[in-house]
Amino acid sequence: MSMNADTMDPKVSINHLYKSYGEETAVKDFNLDIAPGEFVTLLGPSGCGKTTTLRCVAGLERPEAGEIRIGTETVVAPEKDIYLFPEHRNIGMVFQSYAVWPHMTVFDNVAYGLRVRRASGAEIKRRTMNALELVGLDQQADRFATKLSGGQRQRVALARAIVYEPEVILFDEPLSNLDAKLREQMRDEIVRLQKEVGITSIFVTHDQSEALVMSDRVVVMDKAVIQQIGDPQDIYANPVNSFVANFIGVTSLLEGKLLSRDGEVCDVEVPGANGHDGLRIQAIGGEGAQAGDKLFLSLRPEDITLHLDKPEGTGHGNVVQGNVIDTIYLGSFLEGRVRVGEHEIGIQIDHYENLTPGQPVYLSFQPEHGLCLTD
Amino acid sequence: MTTEALSPTRERSPLNNRLRAMLTQENIITLVVAIIVAGAVVVPLAVLFVSSFKVLDPLGWDTTWGFGNYVEMFTDRIIPKAFLNTLIISSGSTILATFLGVSLAWINARTNCPGRDYLEPYNLIPFFLSPFIGAIAWHNLGEPQTGLLNNWVRDIFGVDWALINIDNIYGVIWVTGIFFAPLVYLFVVGSLRRMDPSLEDSARTTGAGLIRTTMTITLPLVMPGILSGAIIVFVTSAGEFGVPFKLSAPYGWETLTTQIFSKAVGDDANHFLGAAMSMALGIITVLLIWIQQRYIAPRSFTTVTGKGFRPNVLDLGPWRWVAFGYNLMFIAVAVVLPIVCLIIVSLHPVWTGKIVWADITTINYVKTLFWWRPDAIAAATNGIVNSLILAFGGASIAMVMALVISYMIHRTKGFGVRMLDFLSVVPIGFPGIVLAMGVLVTYIQTPIYATLWILMLAYITRFFPYGQRNISSIMLAISEELDQSSRMAGASWFTTLWRITIPLLKPGLFAGWILLFIIFLRELSISIILFTTGTETLSVGVYYLTNFENEPLTAALSMAQTVLLLIAIYAFRRFAGREALTA
Amino acid sequence: MSNETTGAYLQVDNLVKYFGNDKAVDGISFGIPEGAFLTLLGPSGCGKTTTLMSIAGLHTIDGGRIKVGDTVFTSPKEGLFLPPEKRDIGMVFQSYAIWPHMTVAENVAYPLEIRKIEQPEIDDRVADVLKLVGLTAEADKLATNLSGGQQQRASLARAIVSKPRLLLFDEPLSNLDLKLREQMRVELKRIQNEVGITSIYVTHDQSEALVMSDEIIVMSKGKIEQRGGPVEIYSRPVNEYVSNFIGVANLLKGKVLEVNEPGQGLFELAQDGKQVQMPCQLSPGIAAGEDAVLSVRPENVHAVREKDGDTTLEGEVTFAIFLGSHVDCRVQWGDFEWKVIAHPRTRLKAGEKVYLKFDPEHTLAVQP
Ligand SMILES: Nc1ncnc2c1ncn2[C@@H]1O[C@H](COP(=O)(O)OP(=O)(O)OP(=O)(O)O)[C@@H](O)[C@H]1O
Ligand SMILES: Nc1ncnc2c1ncn2[C@@H]1O[C@H](COP(=O)(O)OP(=O)(O)OP(=O)(O)O)[C@@H](O)[C@H]1O
Ligand SMILES: [Mg+2]
Ligand SMILES: [Mg+2]
Repeated sequence: MSMNADTMDPKVSINHLYKSYGEETAVKDFNLDIAPGEFVTLLGPSGCGKTTTLRCVAGLERPEAGEIRIGTETVVAPEKDIYLFPEHRNIGMVFQSYAVWPHMTVFDNVAYGLRVRRASGAEIKRRTMNALELVGLDQQADRFATKLSGGQRQRVALARAIVYEPEVILFDEPLSNLDAKLREQMRDEIVRLQKEVGITSIFVTHDQSEALVMSDRVVVMDKAVIQQIGDPQDIYANPVNSFVANFIGVTSLLEGKLLSRDGEVCDVEVPGANGHDGLRIQAIGGEGAQAGDKLFLSLRPEDITLHLDKPEGTGHGNVVQGNVIDTIYLGSFLEGRVRVGEHEIGIQIDHYENLTPGQPVYLSFQPEHGLCLTD
Repeated sequence: MTTEALSPTRERSPLNNRLRAMLTQENIITLVVAIIVAGAVVVPLAVLFVSSFKVLDPLGWDTTWGFGNYVEMFTDRIIPKAFLNTLIISSGSTILATFLGVSLAWINARTNCPGRDYLEPYNLIPFFLSPFIGAIAWHNLGEPQTGLLNNWVRDIFGVDWALINIDNIYGVIWVTGIFFAPLVYLFVVGSLRRMDPSLEDSARTTGAGLIRTTMTITLPLVMPGILSGAIIVFVTSAGEFGVPFKLSAPYGWETLTTQIFSKAVGDDANHFLGAAMSMALGIITVLLIWIQQRYIAPRSFTTVTGKGFRPNVLDLGPWRWVAFGYNLMFIAVAVVLPIVCLIIVSLHPVWTGKIVWADITTINYVKTLFWWRPDAIAAATNGIVNSLILAFGGASIAMVMALVISYMIHRTKGFGVRMLDFLSVVPIGFPGIVLAMGVLVTYIQTPIYATLWILMLAYITRFFPYGQRNISSIMLAISEELDQSSRMAGASWFTTLWRITIPLLKPGLFAGWILLFIIFLRELSISIILFTTGTETLSVGVYYLTNFENEPLTAALSMAQTVLLLIAIYAFRRFAGREALTA
Repeated sequence: MSNETTGAYLQVDNLVKYFGNDKAVDGISFGIPEGAFLTLLGPSGCGKTTTLMSIAGLHTIDGGRIKVGDTVFTSPKEGLFLPPEKRDIGMVFQSYAIWPHMTVAENVAYPLEIRKIEQPEIDDRVADVLKLVGLTAEADKLATNLSGGQQQRASLARAIVSKPRLLLFDEPLSNLDLKLREQMRVELKRIQNEVGITSIYVTHDQSEALVMSDEIIVMSKGKIEQRGGPVEIYSRPVNEYVSNFIGVANLLKGKVLEVNEPGQGLFELAQDGKQVQMPCQLSPGIAAGEDAVLSVRPENVHAVREKDGDTTLEGEVTFAIFLGSHVDCRVQWGDFEWKVIAHPRTRLKAGEKVYLKFDPEHTLAVQP
């Protein structure tokens, strides 16, 4: 599902947001419109300003400049002296540390938002139980939160955040305290729930696979600045720069030089060193680069085909020769590294081929699977 | 490395092997300590219990068995009233200390009150000073005729009445309340400061305002800490001897402790009645401590997460100056005023309630400190030497014991560990004066009576749990795997203890040692029962001077003790501030 | 399950350990040849750490016998218990357990000092191991100033410096973050290879076990479920439990109709009125006519849009999530949802009708 933010009024709109702590800029000129019902992920390495952005939306931090609107209401705009307290913004938030109140039962935790909103007793009961049912905890309603496992606690936090039907729900790395299996399970559960309830969501994570799986759109950030916004397939297939290519998925980046361009296809030279020959590779992308410019060639492991003997005939695209460095058995497939000249290229081997370190092999890939990036 | 094989198993019977396996360094040392601790703690309390059933005949020659002492406690003219007074004082002090402690902790941990980092150490000073000295100082501040404060008010406003009268049970509540406020503070400030901020943030995003969040989330989360602090204050006030002795007993408000004291020493001493009263006081306090340990402490919520974060700090706006003023007031009332008053009083030959600049003299310090001078007062000069001996020796022995006990409790799983754990809580429950009665009746006929040893024994028995707690908290924080890896590296149990465990615990050992040093330096309620001529301690010296000499002499010795304590507090902050090494 | 009783370097026989009334380890036996790298793998609480601690001597055991080379470490029946410091074992803990009051070099030198080795030799050996683990530059730093990965290297250096007879690892990587963990496991394996010390490695992370081990023992509830090499454990699990614990598998109850050749047969699935039959591999001990569980890894199920002779069943894609290098799909068939992994360029979409193909080589019938 890809929402088109232009056709509808955005549910959340962030414009020119700036926030710094002392000397350090945490978020710089952040712009994003989020459509109703959309699931947007802020993705980036540690310290890139994801949490800060989210907390500005929640009202837990006050930005220095910019404007945030939720629904039709401007919730913060320092230039206009507008600032709404978090409790006046009608949002839900789920934290990494669960933040389930240990002195209350599961029911009381979830009902809290309704009680604050002065709902009637019967309604509190009904809506709380509904929310608990939604996250599969209706049996545990009377337990104390301290008696729950990590995954269950996070479900309580989730139920607590959706029970009063806020306009938008904010997630700050809610899964990173859970172990691997549980994380995947909760991940799927959150997606299912979000689609079911249809609530606008902003999700912060530094785990790219989480972002790819869950989101309608991904916002990749680095060093306080947005690098790219797009849907997961788009970001994976067409990263705008080498940071994004490297951060999303696994890729081998080779530094080279643009020789010439023929329509879509670029002719790239990857220089050799220490007596190795350079490589001549045909690839795509590299918009705006002139002949002689420096480029990064990005190759995804799954796009590379391995040959034990030199592939015959045409149709293989680029073919390079190399030697196996090592392979790692990961159960469902083997991950391998191949040395080509002075470069290392990661490959993925589907079946149980026997490769020994040092063995000469050939790699081939189609020009459209090699992507040139200008920075 | 020897890889001695135990192969030829036929030569030794399995039983023999099993015995050899049990007689490790570890088991032998821990067994010895367990026996010593059990002896030190259990014997005096058992003897106390037994003695409370010995009834002295009217002539005071012989004893018979019976419940007479307990009956007398209810029928006596004074004792029931003393009970009531103790209850009133403890309740009052608890309320005052809790209010002060919680509010100060909140201001320091959670608001942008100016100068928070500088105020904190001063807020804690009263905890380390002697409440007895506080009472002496406040007596000189708030006595109706000669009180410095009262006279200042009279001079400045020209009135002829006294602003305050400190010499009653409200005075006792006031002084104990402000001196024990830091106890509550310490119980609360940690959980306020380390509370995961997202607990409150999530209440805010859920729609609760600041006040509602504070009332329904923050306060309930620190409530176990508050209750623990309150119970400890209640128990400590009930066992406090110095303050009521100075401020209320002379004016007709006896308490249990002052009554026990008068039964333990003096001409009409009746140890057995004293023992019965001690039992009553001991049982109440042990019960309360048990409730605290059993029900309240385990309920404290672990709200701390692993991720580093800063607590939510509330912007008080202009009110922050009010908070600042409030905090300064506390420090003034609890630390500055008493010390200033003692200095002033100690510099006068006689104290009439007014500063007489022409009379300023150092004679009081000479008489109480310069032991070589002929006009020195022996009870005072003895005190300093004895207290230093007791503090150095006692703290050192107690820390060694504490180390071994903590080690046993946290690192060995063997037999007797649960009992040890229990035994090291018991002394905390018994007020010093109660334990001292037990030690007195146990050892009065042995050679250690009338020596410093009996004082040292009682000090260590009563206070080693404090040292043990200091070590235990660090031991819990450092992973057992640090020890285990040393064993795996080939080191024996003892080498591991010496080269790994003790160095890791060093900060805790230092902090615990200085804490005990401070406690022993100011100790009164044990010493007052067990001292004899020649074995006076500092606080006993002060007691002697206030009872038999005059206020300026008392103030001088009090100041000397306070200065020693302040030096130790400074050292404590240096070492304890460096926090435990975490692994 | 092979329990070599002879020729093994480390031999654990019938190990039993109780905590109170709970049996944490329930009579397990295994042997390891000298120089091998064995992993104990299992879910939390299955007794891995307890087994390791028993070997280390950090607690006593209630039954069985542990022997390394000619030395009996412990055997309660004979009243034998060698204290841990006499066992000559190196151990690496999850919490690193680097002593914070010593520098890296002092930490590493400690086992040698304990063994009263001459100072010059200590210096040489410490320098050598630090070089091996790549900490030469950090030698004089206080251990607390190292990053998690460096602390774990220091801990490894300390464990191997005295050339112990046995190296034990208790989840040494689980405090590290994902990227570092993947890097460290390759590193750790390389170092173990280089020093050649017999190693037992405990983890609950199956991918770690697959990448690092010569052999894996899968445990559950204090018992051994299966023992074998990584490829064997992954591609030939003996029962449903192992199949489920290692990797992801489609598991369906069904029946073995016939056994054609040894180890191969025909499996029948019945779901919601639909019935299909497919050739499969049989795990040991399964006979014709028995109930069994079909186990197929998602990457061995192929979803195609066109029906052909090899396709066995027809289903509908319920969701397809893009994971970058592959697409994770679910295909509904009756009540059952097949997990299928597809190449991203197949562009499968939710709602599509697809046909599933199974590779008989990788379709297993295992014990329930
Ligand atoms: N309260 C604060 N005071 C000072 N600096 C802060 C504060 N909160 C965040 N920062 C800084 O702002 C920058 C952005 O932090 P932020 O928490 O938004 O990062 P993040 O992307 O959420 O990282 P992570 O994945 O580690 O959570 C960091 O450099 C951080 O050190
Ligand atoms: N010291 C102990 N006292 C009591 N029970 C214990 C003790 N140590 C372990 N157990 C119990 O023994 C069982 C096995 O524990 P063990 O630590 O060996 O598990 P594990 O496989 O290492 O798990 P994990 O992956 O969580 O480390 C568990 O049920 C555990 O609760
Ligand atoms: Mg963050
Ligand atoms: Mg374990």
